[in-house]
Amino acid sequence: MVGSEYVEMIPSPDKTIWSAEVNGSAVDVLAPSNAILLDVLRNQVGTLGVKRGCDLGTCGCCTVMIDGSPRLSCLCLAGQVQGTSIITVEGLSEGAHLAPIQSCFSKHGGSQCGFCTPGFLISAQALLNENDAPTHQEIACAIEGNLCRCTGYQQIIDSIQAAASIHRGETMPDAPASDPHPDPHPSGPEEPNMPPGHAR
Amino acid sequence: MTGGYRQQPGGAGPTTRKDGKRVAGKQAFPPPGSGGSDPVMKPRDLDFIPESVGGKEPQPAGSHIHDRARTGTTVGKEIPLVDSNAKVTGQAWYGDDVRLPNEIIGKILRSPHHYARIKSIDTTRVEALPGVIAVATGEDSPHRFGVLPVTKDEHAMAVEKVRHVGDLVACVAAIDEATAMAALNLFDIEWEILEPVFDPKKGLEDTDEPIHWRGKYHLARTNVQKRVFQEFGDRSLVETPHAESHGKWSMAGVHHGFTEPHAVVAHWDPNGRLQLYTPQQVPHYTHRALSTVLDVPMHQINVIRTFVGGGFGGKSDPFPHEMCAAMLSRKSGRPVRITFDREEVYWINRGRHPSHIEVKMSADEDARISGFDIDALIDGGGFASFGHVTSYYNGVLATAPYELGSFHYTGARVWTNKPASGAMRGHGAVNTRCAVEVGLDEMAETMQVDPIDLRLANLLPPHSRTITGFRITSNGMRQALEQVREGSNWDTKFRQLPLGKGIGIGCGFFISGSGLPIHWDPNRFPHATVHIQVDMDGGVTVHTGAADIGQGSTTAVAQVIAEVLALPIEMIHVRSHESDTSPVDLGSYSSRVTFMNANAAIRAALEIRDKILNAAWEILGYHPDNLVLNDRRIYYKHDPAIGVSYLKALHKAQEDKGSLIASGAYRSPPMGGVHKGAAAGLAPAYSFSSYVAEVDVDVETGIIRCTNVWAAHDCGKALNPLAVKGQIIGSCHMGLGQVLSEQMVYGRTGHLQNANLLDYKIPSVHEMPHVEPIIIESSDPEGPFGAKEAGEGPLLPILPAVVNAVYDAIGIRLRTLPLTPDVVFKGIERAIRKLKIDDPCDLPSPRLEHGPLQAKLVARATEHNVRDRARQRTEDTSPYVNGVLFGFDPNIPLEDQVEGWRTATEPDPEQLAALGLAGRAWLKKEQRQMGGEN
Ligand code: FES
Ligand code: FES
Repeated sequence: MVGSEYVEMIPSPDKTIWSAEVNGSAVDVLAPSNAILLDVLRNQVGTLGVKRGCDLGTCGCCTVMIDGSPRLSCLCLAGQVQGTSIITVEGLSEGAHLAPIQSCFSKHGGSQCGFCTPGFLISAQALLNENDAPTHQEIACAIEGNLCRCTGYQQIIDSIQAAASIHRGETMPDAPASDPHPDPHPSGPEEPNMPPGHAR
Repeated sequence: MTGGYRQQPGGAGPTTRKDGKRVAGKQAFPPPGSGGSDPVMKPRDLDFIPESVGGKEPQPAGSHIHDRARTGTTVGKEIPLVDSNAKVTGQAWYGDDVRLPNEIIGKILRSPHHYARIKSIDTTRVEALPGVIAVATGEDSPHRFGVLPVTKDEHAMAVEKVRHVGDLVACVAAIDEATAMAALNLFDIEWEILEPVFDPKKGLEDTDEPIHWRGKYHLARTNVQKRVFQEFGDRSLVETPHAESHGKWSMAGVHHGFTEPHAVVAHWDPNGRLQLYTPQQVPHYTHRALSTVLDVPMHQINVIRTFVGGGFGGKSDPFPHEMCAAMLSRKSGRPVRITFDREEVYWINRGRHPSHIEVKMSADEDARISGFDIDALIDGGGFASFGHVTSYYNGVLATAPYELGSFHYTGARVWTNKPASGAMRGHGAVNTRCAVEVGLDEMAETMQVDPIDLRLANLLPPHSRTITGFRITSNGMRQALEQVREGSNWDTKFRQLPLGKGIGIGCGFFISGSGLPIHWDPNRFPHATVHIQVDMDGGVTVHTGAADIGQGSTTAVAQVIAEVLALPIEMIHVRSHESDTSPVDLGSYSSRVTFMNANAAIRAALEIRDKILNAAWEILGYHPDNLVLNDRRIYYKHDPAIGVSYLKALHKAQEDKGSLIASGAYRSPPMGGVHKGAAAGLAPAYSFSSYVAEVDVDVETGIIRCTNVWAAHDCGKALNPLAVKGQIIGSCHMGLGQVLSEQMVYGRTGHLQNANLLDYKIPSVHEMPHVEPIIIESSDPEGPFGAKEAGEGPLLPILPAVVNAVYDAIGIRLRTLPLTPDVVFKGIERAIRKLKIDDPCDLPSPRLEHGPLQAKLVARATEHNVRDRARQRTEDTSPYVNGVLFGFDPNIPLEDQVEGWRTATEPDPEQLAALGLAGRAWLKKEQRQMGGEN
């Protein structure tokens, strides 16, 4: 904040109970009546996967899915979406299994620094829910509100197209290899203990 | 063979053909005894094992010393970043995601004035506000810091003066954000307003109140922070030019525009140690600066690098807000979190310098580049940051890959009352590169030759020395040019497209790691160190200080270790977040990480590998030379059935100590000349790139659309082609922003007018052209498995490629960046007035009629092609220095061969009058020469 001129602050707003369904579970939190959805999600609900890039509706990092359509949570009063069903990036995967869109972003380079990724994933998933065979142009329109500084969008579009083909059932999702924790357990089957020089 | 086993092929796995018969010689060897849910050893992936060691990977650029460490496991394969799963699930923790118990929120009071002296700060009202827990001002730390030890000119908060709007004045921590914001209004400050300077040209003049004062080294009473003069070569060549180009450029400042705003969490823990969480590219500099500013020994500070939401150079300075958070935490005893809003990100800036650049070039009758003069005046803003280096880079990084008859550079960086400029992707090289490449295009036009052939006939070969003394090793420039020419169908398009459609070429050259570490002597301490530790369960833990900022350095380090040890990459765990656990590393800048860290990692991994192989030797009785390391199993070269599992060999190797530990380091070879500034731009390797861009220009509105880019980049060896392509496309995006739409707009009052992402126009998906990334592999002899950088260099060529394409489209040379529609339209208006036509649609498109020089150039390029190939594959190892093209003998110092050959780092008195804009800084004297303050 620049400047030191005194600005009268608005008197502290009342707190009200804000309830919604976030990623499938009911949430009730006590929030000021003028709270911004982004703040509530990050500070109170604890879904820190929703990112704050600008607070002005210009970057798309804060995109969440509200009743199925992508919205910028920084431009949304929490009170406006009272009682809705909200999906954040945390709600895309099923347990430890990544959603196709997630594993495709990972596999096709859709995420570099990753800060924009949660927003892109939500925008992309919202598109795929409606249209599982999007054209290049349709994808571009779906993610036009999301800014990415690292990838130049090309690999993001590739990722979305790859996910779309999984949605259509044309390609199989990579099985466990794309889980958050691929099994790297190093102690495999026992080594046979053979006398030296003997064939098994 | 003691303890090993001889195994019959065909224990499990696909040992039968479809028709049920056994497959001879193609059996899997179960069980490998270690590693994952797959109990079967994967066959060696011969496609990723170089020819020279018996594989099938072609090596057009020759073999490499790391070839024998290749196991075909990961290097060269497209693999996802190792931390990408954290990123796609929202679990990656960036600066503002660190939430410690009992945290309080810090806010920073920023200057509303461009330039003012602080007469007093009264904090009584702030402290009285309920909910305020700690307050700090400049008085709390008088110590200076700065990213470069030679130019420490920053304070945690303003000590005497504020130097730009947004400069830090004070900070406060409170129980919540609203209280902290309210508290900012309660500071009572008395200011004395000073006369600000905004125009860098004014910065060259004496003023009453220079923005900083450097004592006896201060240049008169100007605001010049650094001046550079360099002259190499034979100036007499310039006197009789056959073709010339002269351009004056003005380029706006641009910002990195990373998506994550700065954030920091500081926690002074109960043991009195500072734990600082920050998204930093260079945690080590922050570590040092914190220690100075807070007056605490370094070992009492733990800098924890969070995930970094994009850096691009903008998170590589130690930042004052990091100090503020630490001070507030020390005062309050509680964790303090400070997060910037988007506007504050622009106040701290460190973006690319706004520049005034003048380039004069000349060519002789053989189309050799005889003269190459650059004058660069760059606007540093309020602080030095990396500017000392930028001042050099603007000149020295523009010379290669060309062979020059002479090179003359004057540069100056001035302080102005604006947010500080600093390092940004392509540090210092981008703006002059654009001017130079456009100059070449212009000369090609005068000489009636194809600009690609002009370049091809003037390239330095591999293993040569540039005019300023840089040692070039691998060099894939020629292939890059040839491939984009072919890919874009250049020969059927250039100067043949209709009005409004254009195609253009640009090249680039960038350092791959800086040859001199900033903080120590490379002879006494290496550039990078990596520790590896292997535990009983076979997992490999790697400790490195390399900062992954999204470019994938963690992945690169994991990859090279996996490759050497032939382990699945899931078994490599890289720990790089904490300074407590990682060896000192200089961080992610100068494109050094892949080159230096991966090299150090390879060394450490080789040590581990040798220990494991020796253990296998004891078990199997075959010498390590005859053993093959493959997917979790070590076996006898001539009979794969005889082998031992990785785990078993490992346990043998661990018998003494219980764990296996190795440490590897990298230091660059000694290189470079002895002249002043010789170290700037020195690197153990250089990357080369060449792009062709196609644009559509709407002559009625001036709107430019870039439609296609063919982007060839020589990265030595693509360790991970997926990541390299990502870097190339991302660089294109960033460079396109700079050339078409991005600029930091300072209004008439010097105020930054577009400190937000709406008015600071970063290309969206709709502005992005189709980019065809082309990877050139020149196999650098010193790079890890041959690799060089791929993160910054690919940005350079896109700017000139677009500018040249715009000329091809409408026949107008524009030299103001960015090429926003109003700039283009003004250019069009000027042109139609000059040509006396009414309709811009009648503008003539430029056409090319090859002149007599063309054939000569093609012949020379063909000859050089043969020369370069032999040198690249080290079939020809004779010395080559810049100047051979002009007939010099590379074995004798050039000064001894021709009288006019000169190397100078200060102008002669008689030169002074002729110097360009930045050169004017040389008209002034330092205070010590003036008998002033000492
Ligand atoms: S934070 Fe909501 S759009 Fe940037
Ligand atoms: S991946 Fe970094 S901003 Fe998109």
